[in-house]
Amino acid sequence: MRNLRLLLLLISIACLHGTLLASVNDAEKRLRSAIDEVLVIANSASSGDGLIKNLRPVLKRYLSFDAMTRRAIGPGWRQFSDEQQDKAIELFTTLIIRTYSNKLTPGAQPHIKFKPAAEPATGRVDIPTMLTYEGSDYEVTYRMERSEDWRITDVVIEGVSLVANYRAQLDAQFKKGGSEAVINSLTQSVDHPK
Amino acid sequence: MRIHSNILPLLLISLVPLVTSCSSARKSPDAVEPAVTGKSVQTDGKSVQTEDDLDEYAAAEVSDPLEPLNRATFTLNHGIYTILLKPISKVYETIIPKFVRTGVHNAYENVKFPVRFVNHTLQGNFKRSGQETGKFIVNSVAGVGGLMQPAEKIPALANVPAADTGQTFAKWGIGHGPYIVLPLLGPTTTRDVVGLAGDYALNPVSWVTIIYGEYVWTIAIPAANTMRSLPNQLAQYDAAVENAVDPYLSTRTAYIQYRDEIAKK
Repeated sequence: MRNLRLLLLLISIACLHGTLLASVNDAEKRLRSAIDEVLVIANSASSGDGLIKNLRPVLKRYLSFDAMTRRAIGPGWRQFSDEQQDKAIELFTTLIIRTYSNKLTPGAQPHIKFKPAAEPATGRVDIPTMLTYEGSDYEVTYRMERSEDWRITDVVIEGVSLVANYRAQLDAQFKKGGSEAVINSLTQSVDHPK
Repeated sequence: MRIHSNILPLLLISLVPLVTSCSSARKSPDAVEPAVTGKSVQTDGKSVQTEDDLDEYAAAEVSDPLEPLNRATFTLNHGIYTILLKPISKVYETIIPKFVRTGVHNAYENVKFPVRFVNHTLQGNFKRSGQETGKFIVNSVAGVGGLMQPAEKIPALANVPAADTGQTFAKWGIGHGPYIVLPLLGPTTTRDVVGLAGDYALNPVSWVTIIYGEYVWTIAIPAANTMRSLPNQLAQYDAAVENAVDPYLSTRTAYIQYRDEIAKK
């Protein structure tokens, strides 16, 4: 009986390890295909506007913009109406896509070295990479979460989280003037880039 | 952004009183590391948050009692960067070939060996001190005075994390203290201002002022140092302010997150 319990325990551990490994592999595979698709578009873009237009559907497929917006706004999100939430997601998506597109130089080939990924929670995988781009090295960690499929929910460059960085700004706006102030500040940033 | 220049000693002297009022950095209890604590449920392509899903990204906070003054200095710096430093940096990148810029950059980084060596030692990381020494010898000898970095091709010496005095203070458990925006030098904290003084004292580039005392050298060598670091520094600044909702807060948060990350290495 004791041997049977031990055997079951070992099988459970092996299954759990297999599941974790599968999650990490799936998330990494998904990230690699996202990066490949983005690079193909970046290298074929003839203008900045064209790049943004072509990247939008791809990034929307691989990034969870609604989760990113919600977390960038913080606890104040609960006080947004449905219309305000939709508006905030749309504006934040535009802002992030523009930020991302501005960093891409057509023709510049990044070299990405994947490091061992971690699964800090069920359904969440952090994939650290070393990105060599235009002669400089950057530590970039992609945070991915599984809903229907694996999606990027944050990008952390040299320890600076994109979502946490916007949280500091948008939370301050919310404390100043509630959901309207957040929407207005996002609209202002989208319409008048700094 | 930190720009080292020969005005640094004056700035440091004027800031010393602030250091005494330094206080520990304040972080929200849940701000240590973004981690998924709640679950997202996907419905019609839009996820719905539950419980504490929204609190996990509480931003790294720092005390900012001088915020109005800091914002004014930030605006002043933004003008200086945009009107003066960016064009200078552009000219530097245009007229100096890339291999020369890389060589100059490498040489200055090599000369900064004492900053890294002393700080790794003060942090008790003797392995890294040894690696830094090996790196310095290999780059100085085989890399023609540090113009090239052959040590990066030796696995035992490659990718040694940098070390500075502010990082050492952080590893000793000293908090950020109040956030400060210095004219020209940009964002820092009281801890890092003191750290910057330590780095300045340990950096042989600063010693030329004492050793040579000749006007031309005391200007030329630190000026070249500033020039070689400008493009990278300005790119970092641009990354923090471009598409920001509040560029001041974006820069402050990015700086604190970056320094917290450095302290972990």
